[in-house]
Amino acid sequence: MGGSTKLLLQRLIRRIPYQMLQTMLGKWAHLSNADLHSLNFTQPKWVLTEHLLALCEEKGLTVKHITELEMIYIIENPNQGMWHGFQLLDAEEDAPSIELTQFKEQFKANLTELISHVSIKIKKHTDEAIWIRVAWGDNFTKPNHLKPTYVVHHLQTPYVFVTGMTSKDKPLLNQALVLATRYGSMKDAHLSGRNLIAIRDLLTRQYQQVFPTKHPKPLQEKNPVPRNPNIENEQPENTENRLQMACEAFGDGTLPQLQKAVYKLETKFRDNSNKTLTGRKEPFRGVVEFSSTNLLESLRHCVSSGMASTPVTPLLSSITQKGRNYFVITDKGV
Amino acid sequence: MSLLKPFSKLPGLNTANILLVENEEQFQQKLADTVVLQEKTVNVNVRLARSLPLPMENEESRPRIDLVVFIIHLTSELSFQSAETSLKYLDPGYFQGKVCFLVTSARNVSVPPERLVSVRKLAASLHCPLLCAEDQTTEGVTTAAHRLLAILKVAAGLVPMATGLYLSTLTRCTVPSDIDQQNFE
Repeated sequence: MGGSTKLLLQRLIRRIPYQMLQTMLGKWAHLSNADLHSLNFTQPKWVLTEHLLALCEEKGLTVKHITELEMIYIIENPNQGMWHGFQLLDAEEDAPSIELTQFKEQFKANLTELISHVSIKIKKHTDEAIWIRVAWGDNFTKPNHLKPTYVVHHLQTPYVFVTGMTSKDKPLLNQALVLATRYGSMKDAHLSGRNLIAIRDLLTRQYQQVFPTKHPKPLQEKNPVPRNPNIENEQPENTENRLQMACEAFGDGTLPQLQKAVYKLETKFRDNSNKTLTGRKEPFRGVVEFSSTNLLESLRHCVSSGMASTPVTPLLSSITQKGRNYFVITDKGV
Repeated sequence: MSLLKPFSKLPGLNTANILLVENEEQFQQKLADTVVLQEKTVNVNVRLARSLPLPMENEESRPRIDLVVFIIHLTSELSFQSAETSLKYLDPGYFQGKVCFLVTSARNVSVPPERLVSVRKLAASLHCPLLCAEDQTTEGVTTAAHRLLAILKVAAGLVPMATGLYLSTLTRCTVPSDIDQQNFE
């Protein structure tokens, strides 16, 4: 095993948490049961790494096998790094009928045509998602396996999720994907986050949606609190409406975990008390960023508890309605 | 304008009515439950509202309100502004011992100190008491309820030899003249 291969394996094992290591190696299927038994998982990790390196060297495992292990690990734990959502546009006639082998061949052929030194691995996961791992090189260097790009695509849907992509590789990946899926173009969906499933659910509207209804009773009956007869609310309709409107805007039940919403403002400054900044012709550029461990949950709570006024402003509700978390706001609208 | 008037209705026998006004509608529910549980000798009715003016539909069934409490969360500017706008809908007769300000999160480090100063100035200009309450623990809620009940009973005329106006001259909020220069270095 070459030096770079060893380094790759070392880095990978360092990355995988110790508790998961045994299951990952079991799934890898390149080490026999006897080999797995010979490894002592109670030793400190660096000792185990040495043994593992020696074992793999004996077996003559190559970069190809190691990238398989990496892919297994990433598929099990996709929530590392930022995932970005993209949408495919202008489907051609045979786009809905693309199936796996055709897609695989087309994608590999296209990408290797564009760059000669690129390493591609395609795998179909149990939940019908196609995972693609691409390691980029260029015409003179070998592919860099330390910084791969992962792409997730569900066939017959117009959505693609990518992580680990640089701006240099973006146009090449775009072109290969567009040609392989038989669409016209790919555009940025302006949705990014750390949790892959959340991004996917938000773009494909797979969270529990609530639709406007003239009779809000269903939501009200969920918790019939026995009211003390001495306590009376003067303005009860407000409380009932709020929960309904919050759920209409953001959804019910468990919400997809989004970390940030960014609003880039390119609007003119408007505040009558500040004469120096108001009345300028150029827009006042500012960025408003909301961040939280679970942003949609926090926004829904803000609305349902009265901190944010109802009806919910379209600036906030378009996070779920349009499925994006990066907005550019100009004077004419979003 | 539909002002809330203090003496336009007859009082009930051994009854005291308190109105809790809070923009966020969070603390008032807990406080209401505790107040009703704590008081055994007097019949206490609690009315909850988000802001004034109160809806006209309830005008008939609403009893005479003896004490109006404005709950202001210092963590939110909106809370203070909502309380300020609600003040306009109170008849001036209320400001003689029948209004009280209750403030939460006064010890919170992230709260700008200017906000507490403005609330103090507002309470002092209206000659009303300003209470600080801790709304996150049950002891805090119980203590706040206890204090409110003490003021309520006087305001409802249930304590002999004491009236709301008399009590308010003792408990009203005062603002030292150098409050704007105060710093806590």
